[in-house]
Amino acid sequence: MLKLIGGLLVVSATGLAGWAVARVYARRPVELRLFISALQMLETEITYVATPLPDALDRVAQQVEFPVALFFRRVARELGQQAGCSAREVWNRALEWYFPKSALVRNDLGILRGLGNNIGISDRDDQGKHLRLAAEQLKMALAAAEESASKNVKMWNYIGLLGGLIIVLALY
Amino acid sequence: MGGLPLTGPGEAPAGAWRDIMPFLSPSLKELIAGVPPGYLAQLEEIRLRRDKPLMLGMAGRDFFVRKGGGLETRPEGGYIVEAGDLEKVIQNISGHSIYALEEELRNGYITLPGGHRVGLTGKAVLAGGRVKTLKHFSGLNIRVCREIKGIADRVIKHLIDYKADNVYHTVIFSPPRCGKTTLLRDLVRLISNGVPGLNFPGRTVGVVDERSEIAGCHRGVPQMDVGVRTDVLDGCPKAQGMMMLLRAMSPDIIVTDEIGKMEDVQALEEVFNAGVRVIVTIHGSSLQELVNRPALKYLLQLNIIQRFVLLGRSRGVGTVEKILSGNDLPRAGVKMCSN
Repeated sequence: MLKLIGGLLVVSATGLAGWAVARVYARRPVELRLFISALQMLETEITYVATPLPDALDRVAQQVEFPVALFFRRVARELGQQAGCSAREVWNRALEWYFPKSALVRNDLGILRGLGNNIGISDRDDQGKHLRLAAEQLKMALAAAEESASKNVKMWNYIGLLGGLIIVLALY
Repeated sequence: MGGLPLTGPGEAPAGAWRDIMPFLSPSLKELIAGVPPGYLAQLEEIRLRRDKPLMLGMAGRDFFVRKGGGLETRPEGGYIVEAGDLEKVIQNISGHSIYALEEELRNGYITLPGGHRVGLTGKAVLAGGRVKTLKHFSGLNIRVCREIKGIADRVIKHLIDYKADNVYHTVIFSPPRCGKTTLLRDLVRLISNGVPGLNFPGRTVGVVDERSEIAGCHRGVPQMDVGVRTDVLDGCPKAQGMMMLLRAMSPDIIVTDEIGKMEDVQALEEVFNAGVRVIVTIHGSSLQELVNRPALKYLLQLNIIQRFVLLGRSRGVGTVEKILSGNDLPRAGVKMCSN
């Protein structure tokens, strides 16, 4: 009886661990999609309405879902404080803060950082180009992320459960 | 009616420089905060040029700021403005949104909250032979706005037309930098709020502020006190703006700056015909000089301007040298007829 309970515990523990890894793979495409739609909103705000950047980012933060909203809200708030920092510094700091919480990989971060180097500092046409470029790059990353998600989500779920079973059988 | 010194009653606010501090980069902020407050109270402009020493214009002189703080009259050893400083200052004044300032960049200046002006230089981007925008900014000139309340107190009584319960059609003229716009702004405030001491109740004033100098608008909102009955059309060409105000806002008085082109005078004629009073400023050091310019000669020949205010610097900026009435014109030696 004790053995059975122990075995169940081992299987559920490894199963949960597998599920946690799988979840990171499953979350990345969701987050990338949110970022893409956020950038599209930002593009509209900037190129059609010419909303000042802090206000535009705030509007995006209100419309986009968790967790991406956290990033935009932070940038909007810091820019609104007028601490004398450039938008690039604020954007990059917020990215570093957001990255550990997110399911994004370094490559995705690089795309967003590239956008941060240019955000707000040129005319409307140019801003539109930079935002569209970043959105396109994120779409490519999204396709790759979806592919790896479809492979890895199932795999890690199985690895978790089956790995647990193997340990249990070996110990039995 | 000559020789009223105007610098006495009003002083520019000593803390105006504080409005500008939030827009500076952290390193510039630190340097300027280290300048003795007595000097900062007289701050007129901050000049930032890329890779050149930081320069402060105070009390009519140029100063350079040493790296460790402290002022210097010679540029050696002054803090050198870096590209990063300029980038941050420009981002701050634009609210991190250069794209939202296309019109301002075309004109070459941005107005800050508080009415302070930032002039910009850099590389012009052309489209169809006209300046579309600026990029690669290389120089900035932050000019502290000097709103001086009270300087029109002694002029206003000469301009009130008690019969019509309004003000006279007035032209303020002077050579550059004698305080025309400053006087005009204070007149607008007085006329709009009313002057109880002179039994003048206050009238609706429409201001066409083509260069954002009268009301110092930031995003369309006047940053200077232009009175309670004042409507400001910011950044609008004068001739069009006067027509718009006339139709839309039913002003009693229309005010505008720097009249000179024929189309401006034609628009003024429309305003006269509508029975609306006019106060305008004109560049020029004498009536004779005004008459030599065809558009202004035409304006004077209409014989409708009732008061001429000449400003000078004989007792400091903004001294009222002369106030003439329309009837004085022939006596002042102005030939009114072309033949």
